[in-house]
Amino acid sequence: MIGYILRRFGAALLVLFAISVLVFLIFFATPGVDPAARIAGKNADPATLAQVRASFGFDRPLPVQYALMMKHLFISHDLTSFVNRGTLVIPQIIEAVPVTLSLVVGAAVIWMVLGVGMGTLAGAMRGTLVDPLVMLLGVFGVSLPVYWLGEVVNLITQKQLHDSVFSWVPPLGYVPMSEGIGQWALHLLFPWLTLALLYAGIYARLLRGELINALNEDYVRTARAKGLSERRILVKHALRCSLIPIVSLFGLDFGALVGGAALLTEVVFGLPGVGKLTYQALQNLDLPVIMGTVLYAAFFVVLANAVVDVLYARLDPRVRRA
Amino acid sequence: MKRITAIAGAALLAVGVAACSGGGGAATSGTDTAGQPAQTASAAGFQEQHKGGTLRLLAKSGDGTLDPHINYSNGNWQVFQALYDGLVSFRKVGGNTSYDIVPDLAEEMPQVSADGKTYTFKLRKDVKFTTGEPVTVDDVVASFQRIFRVSGPTSGTFYSGIVGAADCVKKPAGCTLDKGVVADAAAGTVTVNLVAADSEFLQKLALPHAAVLPKGTPDKDQGTTPIPGTGPYKVESYNPNKQMKLVRNPNFTEWSRDAQPQGYPDEIDYNYGLTPEAAVTAVQNGQADWIFDPLPADRLTEIGTTYAEQAHVNPLAAFWYIPVNVNLAPFDKPEAREALQWAFDKNALVKMFGGANVAQPACTILPPAFPGHADVCDFPQQDLAKAKDLVQKSGTSGQEVSVVVSDDDVSKQIGEYVRSTLEQIGYQAKLKVISTNIHFTYIQNTKNKVQLSVSQWYADYPAASNFINVLLSCASFREGSDASINISGFCDKDVDAKIAEAMKLDQSDTAAAGKVWGELDRELMKRGPIVPLFNPKQIDFVSKNVGNYQFHAQFHALLDQMWVK
Repeated sequence: MIGYILRRFGAALLVLFAISVLVFLIFFATPGVDPAARIAGKNADPATLAQVRASFGFDRPLPVQYALMMKHLFISHDLTSFVNRGTLVIPQIIEAVPVTLSLVVGAAVIWMVLGVGMGTLAGAMRGTLVDPLVMLLGVFGVSLPVYWLGEVVNLITQKQLHDSVFSWVPPLGYVPMSEGIGQWALHLLFPWLTLALLYAGIYARLLRGELINALNEDYVRTARAKGLSERRILVKHALRCSLIPIVSLFGLDFGALVGGAALLTEVVFGLPGVGKLTYQALQNLDLPVIMGTVLYAAFFVVLANAVVDVLYARLDPRVRRA
Repeated sequence: MKRITAIAGAALLAVGVAACSGGGGAATSGTDTAGQPAQTASAAGFQEQHKGGTLRLLAKSGDGTLDPHINYSNGNWQVFQALYDGLVSFRKVGGNTSYDIVPDLAEEMPQVSADGKTYTFKLRKDVKFTTGEPVTVDDVVASFQRIFRVSGPTSGTFYSGIVGAADCVKKPAGCTLDKGVVADAAAGTVTVNLVAADSEFLQKLALPHAAVLPKGTPDKDQGTTPIPGTGPYKVESYNPNKQMKLVRNPNFTEWSRDAQPQGYPDEIDYNYGLTPEAAVTAVQNGQADWIFDPLPADRLTEIGTTYAEQAHVNPLAAFWYIPVNVNLAPFDKPEAREALQWAFDKNALVKMFGGANVAQPACTILPPAFPGHADVCDFPQQDLAKAKDLVQKSGTSGQEVSVVVSDDDVSKQIGEYVRSTLEQIGYQAKLKVISTNIHFTYIQNTKNKVQLSVSQWYADYPAASNFINVLLSCASFREGSDASINISGFCDKDVDAKIAEAMKLDQSDTAAAGKVWGELDRELMKRGPIVPLFNPKQIDFVSKNVGNYQFHAQFHALLDQMWVK
């Protein structure tokens, strides 16, 4: 087991290293990105350009530059942005994390409740009108792209009906929990719903399929033969097994979202989270911030994978024994 | 100054905004926002009843460092107007007189020696930094040194004419300029010696890069740490991802209404993060007062009609243009370049940008109402037959040409139009769309072999040389560098000599110099290293409770002069 953990850990480090090298190389291989020219400003004199190049170390070989960047990021923790100079990268990310977590955790609760509820309902009521209706709703959620849905939600709540039905909706942006749970939740309500709708649809569809399969399994027939109530069979036996793929999917989705995949939602609703930070860094080619956020995101994806594996074993005894 | 303006879409703005334009262009303009007299406020002096409140500004992101010696962006230059002062400044009013240079930290305009090489400034005595420390001649000297010690973006260009500057650019550490900038503490004067006379020197001194900062300010980019200034406001906090908060400078007393008037709002909150779409809605809802970013095209109609009274349109000292690479086939042939001057329908391009109310067709390199602009047009309208003929004559017909544009909507549309026109006049044309983030530096580098592109230029200060000398002189052409603003690669010794002559003439006789610039502009149009497309205008959208909107020709809306009470 320890060997397995070590191997896994090593592989994760390798992945992170490879990603960082890739980001670095892609950046420098792109024509027109010379960071010195950007920092020195347009029409900079060649001597000024040379000064900037030297002071930022851009005249050194790429491997040295890479090593220095990693040193600033991981050892001295003082990597600073190229664009907003003086802004440290790590505190920027740390400041953005609570925003992203607030968004993703809230949305996750909503989509899990909705997704599991809808999926179970549809699976259990197969053959009735409820099933296709619920699934239609699910497809509806899946087919609405977040950036479009978000803009439309804004259009309705901030503009068209802002003076009447939605006058209680606060302006876009984020309010930290320290300024009151109520305001925090109110500001996040529509971002939560927007983000959750897509995932709820996916999860509901997935769960329904799994549930229907499970209900045809031998152990369900056995349970019925034992005389268990249908309700107990559904919740205790079929649903529990059907949740396995949901949990693994949830782990991956959650990890990716915390890592910054909620980018579009954050941008549309003006939430200064990790996704927004990444987006802005990409917009102005700010390599240190791109590096920081990409590694951060990769870390969460890798971490989420590990957590999923553990949970898997917890839910499914067969995995534990294997 | 370069800025990408993505005002796009149809000529929808037409109806409404036309009615409320004015403000900047004409000092005489009658009514501006919500029918209030536009120019009377400053004439009448400070209006106590409007003092107070919080002005809420929006931008999609922060605009870089707070260090005025380093930041080179429109967004923060605008903010710096309320934070910092130089020895001289542009007059802080709306309208044409905003191009005038007035004494700021200097008591009066400097004494200039007959040869134009020595400027002597007498410093005001009563001005204090936000720290309470008085501004002394030592601070002025230290600030000049600091321009070089921090390798400021314009240290090697704007300020390279100061005696000793050439060495300082090469060796920033320990730069003293001991022969270039000399203080006399007893007399309270600072003397600046130049290698050669420079007619634009005072304008360069009026830019944030020459702001006077306290001596002892560290010789490195101060980033997000505010540096004490002398203006009516100071930065209380700055996080480029969230907010910049300005509050009143307790040590400020108005010393010159022309140079640094006191501001109206008690606090200015500049919030970052909303998309321009969301920002427009926020201003409509009264949740914010002004937006920095170009307005989204699909909102222009609405702003031009329902919200016309809150919109302000003003011409900019800028143009969109096609830099034509004169060193690569086919445009190394003069006839091929001339063909391009005839090829495009500028009115069609204006429509792509958003219509006649947000841009006007350009026929010269220098924008209208800009020093040196000559009201002539040698290529008045599109003539495809002539263009085709010239292409045939040049012997380049059928050659491959690619147009490199950035990936914003307007540029793509213009790029497609340029491509199809090139096909019509006999080339095999391709469109290359690249990310807006790298476009501007990409097209400058000769290694990328860009034949044609679509770019923009915004003037740093009102001087013809800021277009012609910067964009088309040999000195700004640097092969193989991402910083080579002469994108056309045009280098002609005779033209360089004429530029030098015009710049020299500017020192003694601006009218005569203007004529020379005008002729030079005309000649350059014929030689075709640049195809001017149109001159854009700035649209500012403010909330209902904003009054006293003033458009400064150099730094755009004067933020601290807006009142919210």
